[in-house]
Amino acid sequence: MSTVGARTPRFVQVGAALGVAFLALPIVGLLRRVSWLTLWDQLTQSSSREALRISLYASLSATLLALIVGLPLAWCLARMQFRLRRVVRALVLLPMVIPPVVGGVALLGVYGKTNGLLGGVLDSVFGIQLTYSIWGVIIAEAFVAMPFLVLALEGGLRSINTRYEEAAAVMGASDLARFRSVVLPMLRPSLVAGLMLAWARALGEFGATITFAGNIEGRTQTTPLAVYTMLESNPEGAYALSFLLVAVCVAVLIGLRDKWIGGFAR
Amino acid sequence: MISLHGTVVAGEFSRRFDLEIGNEIVGVVGQNGTGKTSLLRTIAGLSALGSGQLSLNGVMVDQPAKRLFVLPELRSIGMVFQDHALMPFLSAVGNAALPLVVRGMKRGEAKTLALELLEQFGVADVAYQLSSTLSGGQSQRVAIVRALIGNPSVVLLDEPLSAIDEESRNGVRSVIASRLSMLGVPTLIVSHDQVDVVALCSRVEQLNRV
Repeated sequence: MSTVGARTPRFVQVGAALGVAFLALPIVGLLRRVSWLTLWDQLTQSSSREALRISLYASLSATLLALIVGLPLAWCLARMQFRLRRVVRALVLLPMVIPPVVGGVALLGVYGKTNGLLGGVLDSVFGIQLTYSIWGVIIAEAFVAMPFLVLALEGGLRSINTRYEEAAAVMGASDLARFRSVVLPMLRPSLVAGLMLAWARALGEFGATITFAGNIEGRTQTTPLAVYTMLESNPEGAYALSFLLVAVCVAVLIGLRDKWIGGFAR
Repeated sequence: MISLHGTVVAGEFSRRFDLEIGNEIVGVVGQNGTGKTSLLRTIAGLSALGSGQLSLNGVMVDQPAKRLFVLPELRSIGMVFQDHALMPFLSAVGNAALPLVVRGMKRGEAKTLALELLEQFGVADVAYQLSSTLSGGQSQRVAIVRALIGNPSVVLLDEPLSAIDEESRNGVRSVIASRLSMLGVPTLIVSHDQVDVVALCSRVEQLNRV
């Protein structure tokens, strides 16, 4: 006979089944609307192709940007004791919880050409305009994607026992050599997971991008923006692109299965 | 030459040391909590002196009063850690070669040298095994190879034979002894085993509880 804790009441099982249905039905609905016969044509028509190209370029650049500033940040959060650590941690989480469109508005407040905190200087001194350009897309995507990377890296760095780095230091390894030969190999699983999650988030970014970089076909129109635009004019194309995005995200989840799904299951 | 006159601190623990160690092998013995490991960590530069001064081979490396502290990577130390601290993602030979690799030697060249030493210590057969799969004794021998391979100017061995079984102990001890006499540098060996100390060391520093 099973113990009380191991017995799951029927109504809980029914609730769980409803939960599964709630998550799975939209995917079924999406797949039902995809016209499989014209899928390839829809994905390779010029506006889709452009959107995919911009998405790929911007999301990869955004992930790289997030890595460049996110790794040092994760390092400090994991390894340094400083007074404002809680504040910085909250700041890192902020883009995860604020509405992306608000993120876009906030970015306009900094980098906007006319009223932005830095936008005017960037434009007049360096001739750089971030809004309504591919750079705007990259910044917006990096802004929303960075928390995923920082959290994964911070967790990874915390789990590395510093005695390995001590051993390497005694061997004569400089800071950089220690990072390369000790930290990086041990951080690799977290790094890969963080990069994939951040990339998936950047790829799907909508609100901050449309607010900050606009929705200009061939310039700032990423795949999610193209889906939104096409839904009126060419629903078949919109479903085709949506299917592709879902497929990519599923692939990311499969890639992370050991790190995340397996970890939850066990 | 290790010249230490000062206070070794580790958390709540603190103890005054006055040591002069020439090119000789000195055993450090004493009960747990007498600061043996803290002493080695301080000489290696993994913790700083609370006060006083430490010089290695004539170079001042730690002098809090003058805010002087030389980083561990610049002290030319060969050290065996109590828990070995082998990199779990590297093979035995990868670990043994690491001190040479991090200082810029080509990986292949470093591994050839490491294999020779692993052979001397009787662990060449597990050279390509991941270090996390080695037995305690094998892992300890790899740690000894790693400590000695880079021709360090100071050698610090923290319980270097504790995990090695009785039968092979004599052999390992004599390989350590011959290797250390070749190096001819100041060496500190922390050990609980009287036999090891008598066999390897020219004199003993006895640490009593403070």
